[in-house]
Amino acid sequence: MVARTAGHCGPRGGVMAAPMKRAAGWGRWFCTAAAPRPWRLFGAMCLLRLPRITQPLEKEEEEMAALMEQIELEKSHYSDHEVRKLEEEEQLRRRKESAYDDDDEAPGKTVIMAQDLEDKWEQKLLGFEAAPRITDADKNNNRTSLNRKLDSNLMLLVKQKIGNQELWLLPQVEWQPGETLRSTAERAMATFLGDHIQAKILGNAPYGIYKYKFPRAIRTEDNVGAKVFFFKAFLQSSDLSQAELKEDYLWVTKDELGDYLKSEYLKKVNRFLLDL
Amino acid sequence: MLAAAAAAAARASRGLSSWLPQTVPLRGSHWQTSLLALRASLPTRAQPKKKKKVDLKREQAQKDRMKKKIKKLEKLAPEMIPIEDFIPPVKYSDNNRVRSLPPLSFEETERRVLLMKKWCVFKQKQDKAEKKAIQTLVEAQQEALKELRLESEELYQAAIRRDEGLFPFERDGPNYTPPLPGYDPPEGKCIDITKVYTQ
Repeated sequence: MVARTAGHCGPRGGVMAAPMKRAAGWGRWFCTAAAPRPWRLFGAMCLLRLPRITQPLEKEEEEMAALMEQIELEKSHYSDHEVRKLEEEEQLRRRKESAYDDDDEAPGKTVIMAQDLEDKWEQKLLGFEAAPRITDADKNNNRTSLNRKLDSNLMLLVKQKIGNQELWLLPQVEWQPGETLRSTAERAMATFLGDHIQAKILGNAPYGIYKYKFPRAIRTEDNVGAKVFFFKAFLQSSDLSQAELKEDYLWVTKDELGDYLKSEYLKKVNRFLLDL
Repeated sequence: MLAAAAAAAARASRGLSSWLPQTVPLRGSHWQTSLLALRASLPTRAQPKKKKKVDLKREQAQKDRMKKKIKKLEKLAPEMIPIEDFIPPVKYSDNNRVRSLPPLSFEETERRVLLMKKWCVFKQKQDKAEKKAIQTLVEAQQEALKELRLESEELYQAAIRRDEGLFPFERDGPNYTPPLPGYDPPEGKCIDITKVYTQ
């Protein structure tokens, strides 16, 4: 059978020899024209929750920021507020050194000094409580919540049954003829998270591919293996209260992916994830 | 003219016979006979003559002068709109505004120079890492597209089609702290006082 297929698409085989050899080391020749495709196609969605807060500065960045501020201060002139403050300090000093001039200032007049204004602003700032950068979910290490690790990207991982194994994967669904791969990925997202998810898919093209052959027991002529095409999307709705049809889901950062994904799969996924 | 008409009306009311009704051209059927209308409808031939000739000439002369001025202004090149950021206001060039700080010590300058060099190296490493990441991203995508092409041409064509809905892509950037739930911002109105120049 192998010889027959090889003879059928001899001229085409030359083009496809290289990638197929890379796959498993044997020179299987495929013809995409009319022969049945032995690879099953899957569309997977890598849903990213973008960071909500800025990342902490590195040591060099902090030092440089301080230096820049200092240089800016040295090169600047006095502002109106500072000029006013200096004049008032001068007046206070003169009043203390010389005897009190009762002619100059009327006793009943209250003047708001620049220093008082600054103190008032300082008090107002201290009275404001901002939301904490490290949330409760961070402290509990609750990996199912979206409020975790607000300064990095979070990815959705779901537990799926492939063959007879339960694996942690990016949500994937088999491609059906008649739809583009992007709509397959959208369907995958909708299957696991429901219809009311607002996500911006970045383009029609896949970002990565993971190819694997089925174990010899299941492998047939028509069913050699599977190709999983990954698509990337940015999550835009901030809370997913009505979603989550399955219980086994996780939101993880790129570093934590290694805890859940298999090594080959992880290698391919890491290639298209920017580590910021 | 009105005074004459008023005097005539007054004489008529007093009933003086010397004022003959025939001289008054009010006998026409369409003319009203009330006293008020009398004043308005008496033909006043003196004033309109002045309006027609002299004033018209004066108005024509004014219009010509204005047109000449407009033409002169148009011939000149349009005035440049000043960029307000590049023109420091006059009040900041006073001498009392200059900041007085102690001069920098030798150690401080040395520290600064060394820090700048460390920063250069840091930024270079960061840049290289970013470029490498982008390179792997592009390579992974090319590989995926190649595999897809091997699978089916139509899916490949659908994949390399441009996504019209992607741009313009807008996103609120990350802040320093996450949003505070239930925060009520203070009321206020923002009045824009930027100067708008027209050419």
